[in-house]
Amino acid sequence: MYQLAVFCVLLALGYGFGRFAETRHYQSITRREKLFAELPTLSLRSAGEDEEAVFKTQFVSANVVISVDYFKRVAAALRGFFGGNVQAYESLVDRARREAVLRVKESCPGASHILNVRIETSSIHKGRGNGVGSVEVFAYGTAVYNAPD
Amino acid sequence: MKFKPGIESLETDNVNVSHSSPVREFVTLLLGAFGILALIYAVSGLLIDKAVDWIDPKTEKALFSDLYNAFDDAESQTDASVTLQRLVDDLQQCLDPGYEITVNLTEDSSPNAFALPGGKMVVTQGLLDLVSSENGLAFVLAHELAHFANRDHLRGIGRGIVLAAMSAAVLGSDSGLDAIFAPASLAGQARFSRSRESQADQRALMALNCHYAHIGGATEFFEGLKRRGDAGDTAGTISHYFASHPDAQSRVDALSALGGDSGFAQGALRELPEALQ
Repeated sequence: MYQLAVFCVLLALGYGFGRFAETRHYQSITRREKLFAELPTLSLRSAGEDEEAVFKTQFVSANVVISVDYFKRVAAALRGFFGGNVQAYESLVDRARREAVLRVKESCPGASHILNVRIETSSIHKGRGNGVGSVEVFAYGTAVYNAPD
Repeated sequence: MKFKPGIESLETDNVNVSHSSPVREFVTLLLGAFGILALIYAVSGLLIDKAVDWIDPKTEKALFSDLYNAFDDAESQTDASVTLQRLVDDLQQCLDPGYEITVNLTEDSSPNAFALPGGKMVVTQGLLDLVSSENGLAFVLAHELAHFANRDHLRGIGRGIVLAAMSAAVLGSDSGLDAIFAPASLAGQARFSRSRESQADQRALMALNCHYAHIGGATEFFEGLKRRGDAGDTAGTISHYFASHPDAQSRVDALSALGGDSGFAQGALRELPEALQ
């Protein structure tokens, strides 16, 4: 009985806080994506730059760790029972990936574009056993700065 | 290369996430999981009942005899336990459980009695302290005898094992799901248990009437529990659904109703034997 009450409270708290954080994060992501829309990120190794015009190139990287909330964890565990799309985790991965790319962009103000962008997931959560999991995304690339006219 | 950022699509069509309600998904999955587990539990219950009919008391005794090596009957025999044993033996003429029943008395102060596999009955000192007449005690002993006759102890253990296996194997203990399934499964088991308890009460009442030619003292134990406030206060609250026994008042009511219907008489109570006082 007591166990069930604790579970329900945790579930409600997880849902409430998780929902709040996610909504706020998405608002921030879309706002900043608009802000940085003029700075292209490319997976190409070269965008046909005029070498004379390039002032400097620089390695840029960023990482993001986002925790799973209790509600998502239980929902995903239930999903693990039946199989299928783990909806609860989709938005987590989406947020982490977009946030990582945004941070890459934010780390090189004034660049004209970022080349060779790669996105990877690392796994600091692995081996922590029963703890609440987290999504970790690492993004990196080469920022290209054009010479001032 | 000329870049043209497409910012208008960023907010509206995110193809990477599902837009359906997470709560609805959660509830659907939860109900589905409950349904499947309830089905497994119900089917296993039926299989257990079949298996219990198939295991005769002799096999049961052989299976569980290792459990009781810890008890040494010869050493723990006291006047009280011998008297108890005699009372149980007498009652068996009215309610034959098909077993050779051995009674053990424990020092435990909470009033209770158990039917264990292999024909072992355990009676607590607390029970002897609670009842005031031999008839009251005999009803509780007959109730346990009825459990043996109905093989309820095996059914209970079987269902317990199924539940434990289900929550461990299917759900995994690290998913957090066990927190919600454990109380629910307890509620299911408790409902089963309460119905078995009521049946045992009925048989015990008949045995009491057969032994003493009246049913005086049948409700003594439950009245005692009520006075202690141990069991009576759960009626009407949600914890009632998790109780393995019906609450004391409803058992008293049921016994009185049954006694009236069967035309059983009330009579003078016998005092508790001296060894048990």
